[in-house]
Amino acid sequence: MPTPTLLQSIAITLIQCVLVVLFVFVVVPLTVFAERKVLGHLQQRLGSTRVASGHIGVTGWMNRGMWKWGRIPVLSYWRGIPGLLADVLKLILKEDIIPAKADKFVFFIAPALSMVSAVVVFAAISFVPGTFFVFPSWFPGLAGLPVSGGIADINVGLLWILGVASVGVYGIVLAGWASNSKYPLLGGLRSAAQMVSYEVPLAISLLAPVVLTGSLNFGEMAQRMATGTSAWGLVPQVFGFLIYLTCGFAETNRLPFDMPEAENELVAGFHTEYSGMKFGFFYLAEYINMTVVSALAAGFFLGGSWLLPFGLQGLANQLLPAGAWIAGPHAIFFVAKIIFLLFTYIWVRGTIPRYRYDQVMSVAWKYLIPLALVNLLLAAFVRCAV
Amino acid sequence: MEHFIETIGRNMFAIFGVMALGGAAVVVASRSAVHSVLAFLFAMLCIAGCFLSLEAEFLGMAQILVYAGGIVVLFLFVVMLVEVTKAKEKEVFQLQSRYAIGAVLLGVAAFAAVFRKVIFGVASPQALKLPENLAQGLNVAQQNAQAVSRGLFAGYLLPFEILSVVLLVALVGAVVLAKTERV
Repeated sequence: MPTPTLLQSIAITLIQCVLVVLFVFVVVPLTVFAERKVLGHLQQRLGSTRVASGHIGVTGWMNRGMWKWGRIPVLSYWRGIPGLLADVLKLILKEDIIPAKADKFVFFIAPALSMVSAVVVFAAISFVPGTFFVFPSWFPGLAGLPVSGGIADINVGLLWILGVASVGVYGIVLAGWASNSKYPLLGGLRSAAQMVSYEVPLAISLLAPVVLTGSLNFGEMAQRMATGTSAWGLVPQVFGFLIYLTCGFAETNRLPFDMPEAENELVAGFHTEYSGMKFGFFYLAEYINMTVVSALAAGFFLGGSWLLPFGLQGLANQLLPAGAWIAGPHAIFFVAKIIFLLFTYIWVRGTIPRYRYDQVMSVAWKYLIPLALVNLLLAAFVRCAV
Repeated sequence: MEHFIETIGRNMFAIFGVMALGGAAVVVASRSAVHSVLAFLFAMLCIAGCFLSLEAEFLGMAQILVYAGGIVVLFLFVVMLVEVTKAKEKEVFQLQSRYAIGAVLLGVAAFAAVFRKVIFGVASPQALKLPENLAQGLNVAQQNAQAVSRGLFAGYLLPFEILSVVLLVALVGAVVLAKTERV
């Protein structure tokens, strides 16, 4: 394979960025849509599971049949699509209001900070180890060049992910301050305390994979976690996964922990004063953050682009014939795991009521941090013993 | 085009350095405390860029994680809570500016004293390296984090632990001060 020149490698990186952004902007609206529908089914909200452009097509015919039999139709996949379209249109077309006494510069930069820190994390995430695809020979300028499964293969990828994700808190805090209004300020302060607190157990729970694999590179860690850990490694991985997921919910301000925007207490929290596409950016950033947290959980605990989670793939591979399709890494497994975890987010949101604020803080400091430390100790024992 | 990109790549350190200095200047000059904190964040991120351009990946990432992600957030938290009116702010600044200038001069002198060899001396022909016995079986250029950890936890364990004790003292002191005020 030819080695790319400087300009070619820059072009390839740009193409990778475009692909990742495309992935994000396909997954996020689908998640929003899925959230409406799944919540609709979980909490019996009728609109998002019924609204449709008409009873047309094969499934429409089947649905009408089911209504006639006196059953609620299950085959209503596209129902709710008009709601999603209306939502997107509203975000784009709504007037962009800046409050008179707001700090204009900070008010402007806060949504951008949230959005950028959410997207940039994807630089260190590799969707599949090695080459993703090779440019066909007719492609102008880049014929025959390989495109790897991640944008940047950083040695300290995990630190990059944690560091950049931790910059995301500024978006929320500054939005709360710049609005110059009491509810956003309270939301911003809450989020600063909450996100800084939950970052600690989150980072410690991610240290267990670091100890087990002895690496900080995302791709290497995913590979070693999926295929290289021993049977004993299962215990710290399962516990670590549960702790990580809990902290992930808190870090993305999702429902059992959505203190920064708790609508019955703070109107809409930090984004009360935002409208139009500035609000849209916070909305997007929240869903991109969910995708990021899911991608990390999928990569470190659920076996990344291998099929089986928690290092079981390594044990299974001893039984499978070498070179079997199911034994190898595939980007589709990775994406499937991300989508499953996004569903879990919605599932939890529809099931568990919101914590009180002091409970949120005590969960982090009194339970999650000690648990995460014990888990780290377990991982260290496993690493030393095996 | 290629030449241009390569030139930028070679001068990355200078670019980030100038940007960090600009950020630091805004920290001092800005009227609003929150703007100062924002500029401080910018300067910290640029310093991380400086580390990255010197191929010290671990240090750069630690810089982002610790300063941008932790310490500056707490600064912001405090600044948002303490709302000082404009007039009062001015008074406080005028009172403190003499001391501030003195402190800055003292800092510059201390910095020059510590780094006089680096700044005015002959440039070392070799980059700083781990001792041979510690660097065994390690590709220092590739495994940055491992090299730093070996230096800290094998070569210089005692100074590192003493530093952590100093931090602990500060932490306990802060808790004690906060507690007595409340009772």
